[in-house]
Amino acid sequence: MDEAPRNQYSQGEKDRIFHQEFMPHVNSMHNFAYRLTLDADDAKDLVQDTYLKAYRFIDSFQQGTNAKAWLFRILKNSFINDYRKKSKEPSKVDYQEVESYYNSDDVDRQITPDLRVEALKDMIGDEISNALNSLDVDFKTVIILADLEDFKYDEMATILDIPIGTVRSRLHRARNLLKEKLANYAKSMGYNNS
Amino acid sequence: MEEPDKSKMKTDCPEKQQCMQLLQRIMDGEATDAERQHFIEHHLNECLPCYQEYHLEVALKEMLKSKCTGKAPSDLVEKIKSAIDQNTIM
Ligand SMILES: [Zn+2]
Repeated sequence: MDEAPRNQYSQGEKDRIFHQEFMPHVNSMHNFAYRLTLDADDAKDLVQDTYLKAYRFIDSFQQGTNAKAWLFRILKNSFINDYRKKSKEPSKVDYQEVESYYNSDDVDRQITPDLRVEALKDMIGDEISNALNSLDVDFKTVIILADLEDFKYDEMATILDIPIGTVRSRLHRARNLLKEKLANYAKSMGYNNS
Repeated sequence: MEEPDKSKMKTDCPEKQQCMQLLQRIMDGEATDAERQHFIEHHLNECLPCYQEYHLEVALKEMLKSKCTGKAPSDLVEKIKSAIDQNTIM
């Protein structure tokens, strides 16, 4: 977050921005927080912390710019700084290694997982939600931002502090991983995908 | 959109790699009109793998939206609002 205040809003303006521009995104923010932390209490704390920070730094929010992207960026940074460390799951992969993997051409040379629309549409329970939750944080994040929240690549690049090219390749890889999980699930349920 | 005759479609895509990348950008609303047009005419209507992949991506996106979104707990919303109101007084 760019914390340099650019504005000096009056109390009334602050309250209006907060309630009219920030609060309408609370459902999306909570969903994002829950899928990052996978813990109901942590998710609530993370959302609340994010909103309090947003209020505290409201002078650095530019009216007319994308409030939702601004909030998502604060939430994602709070998660990395305050929650990721205490998460039970240890970081298994070297970040640099993962990043070079995303950026390699291997992403596109991967055979796309064989999953049929019919098999997918039969997944009426928690299968898709569970598959999404089980992805590595960096991968599930891009799917949440693109597919659930309809952020554009440039907005995602700003939220995540990564180049647009990385957004694109990470998203492609994330979708293939998700389809791979769902294809394995479909197979275990006896679907013949070929 | 007219349903293409699948029996007349190519079973392989001559430019699969670029095509799958383009499909991603189409899904994300980041492709140009010309690119979309090219994909529809030369892939969606002509190659079976591109046709299948397109419909899978569309279905997956719909499923993600309907299965993986939800509402924030109402006590959380109230808590945030009251925390802000207290902050305001301070
Ligand atoms: Zn094709």
